[in-house]
Amino acid sequence: MERFIDLSLSAIMLAGLYATMAYGLGLIYGVLRVVNLAHGGVIMAGAYLGWVLFERWGIDPYLALPLVIVASFGLGILMYRLLVRHLPRGPAGGPASLLLLFGTWLVLRNVAYLLFTGNDQSIRTSYSTASVPFLGTYVSVNRLAVLGVAVILPILLQLLLKKTYTGRAIRAVAQNADSCTLVGVDVERIYALTFGIGTALAGVAGLLSATIFSFNPGFGSGELLKSFVVVVLGGLGSILGVGLAAFILAVVEVFAILVLPSYLTSAVGFVMLVLVLVLRPGGLFGHRVLG
Amino acid sequence: MSEPLLQLDAIDVSYGDVQVLFGLSLEVREGEVVTLLGSNGAGKTTTLRAISGLRPPRAGEIRYRGRSLATIPAAARADLGISLVPEGRELWPQLTVRENLDLGAYGARARPHAARNLERVFAMFPRLAERSGQLAGSLSGGEQQMCAIGRALMSEPTLLMLDEPSLGLSPLLVDQVMNTISELHAGGMTILLVEQNLRKALQVAQRGTVIETGRVRLEGTSAELAANPEIRAAYLGI
Repeated sequence: MERFIDLSLSAIMLAGLYATMAYGLGLIYGVLRVVNLAHGGVIMAGAYLGWVLFERWGIDPYLALPLVIVASFGLGILMYRLLVRHLPRGPAGGPASLLLLFGTWLVLRNVAYLLFTGNDQSIRTSYSTASVPFLGTYVSVNRLAVLGVAVILPILLQLLLKKTYTGRAIRAVAQNADSCTLVGVDVERIYALTFGIGTALAGVAGLLSATIFSFNPGFGSGELLKSFVVVVLGGLGSILGVGLAAFILAVVEVFAILVLPSYLTSAVGFVMLVLVLVLRPGGLFGHRVLG
Repeated sequence: MSEPLLQLDAIDVSYGDVQVLFGLSLEVREGEVVTLLGSNGAGKTTTLRAISGLRPPRAGEIRYRGRSLATIPAAARADLGISLVPEGRELWPQLTVRENLDLGAYGARARPHAARNLERVFAMFPRLAERSGQLAGSLSGGEQQMCAIGRALMSEPTLLMLDEPSLGLSPLLVDQVMNTISELHAGGMTILLVEQNLRKALQVAQRGTVIETGRVRLEGTSAELAANPEIRAAYLGI
């Protein structure tokens, strides 16, 4: 029973992390129709940025959160303005965008190797091992904080998307960009902004991951693939769908530990991805785009 | 005579290698309802897209209030008072009616007046008020047309362009849309109307231009056009 509660709690916290990463990927795809293969690279960059801020300047990772958000948002805007903007629009841009963004990821990864070597790093704070009693077991304080951020950020984002003119324009561009131009929306600006928000979420996910896992410049590939699983499972746009899908993935992964050897647990997500694509290609919750 | 509100001066418009408009010229004066007529593929939609900036001309000039629009990006034209109700409505299907209308007032000029204009739109189309929380994609064709017109009105246009507003609507709804156009005209709005329903279009418009394969074929007052034997044979089936 204790083990069950333990595993459930880790699943919930993992789900928050997965949802944050996946929401960034899904938002960019939903609005720009571009699969951001550099997502994993930005996750890795967020982890290193948090690590540098902590190791060099002693800034707590949760205080570093705004800095990482701003920096990875800026990185996203830069990537959009310098690279993604020049891609052909529509389905014709598909292969080109995959190659371009995969290349961007390789560049990010190799810059990280150059700056930080390939050694594993992690952010160890004074409270990294602290835990509080809960339902007869113990919960890591840090994992609770991760979950808190992972719940608050999507709520803020949802408020932006639903309540502000800019947010509504983002959702409208995903559905019909020409109509947006007609009412005076600068669609290019919305694309850049959306790309920035998506990469900001990746950066945050990287920072949060770095407080839990160790990482090196190769970090992010598993995270990218898990984001894919969640987006495919949960569909685009609805926060609830993404959250639920992230939870399903996390639960299946965590509980697979009970029945599978540990080296196979990371394959669980991909088996799920294949199953969903074969059985329910529209995702578990249908096709709505940023509704 | 005063300067026209909108002036198209010999514009050429192409989609890739395919040229659609050939030296097309057109004038719309303030307060007028002008209708652009022609068969499918004549270039009516393309003309409106050129004016709204979605498909800028390759040659020639479009002037609005005497000023060239060549350097004005499409997204800035709503703020100048140019608004298009596109063919096929082109609403955002997964936003609510209310959200669709609100976004119509996105521009800096219209945004401060959004609340007042929303009231006007709801007064004009009470149906939209009833359905304001519903997704636009779930509306009937007629309601979608009202929503598209409402969205365009939210930007407080000086020049309202409508592309085939009666397409796919029942005769009753066609009359309603035409009445709406007459009402807007009575309120002082300048309207450029593209219509396949020539009889109805000539009833609400003062002047018309017939285009054929991207060139002006005929121009005249509505009465002249309605009496033209060629038009009667080709479009009215008389």
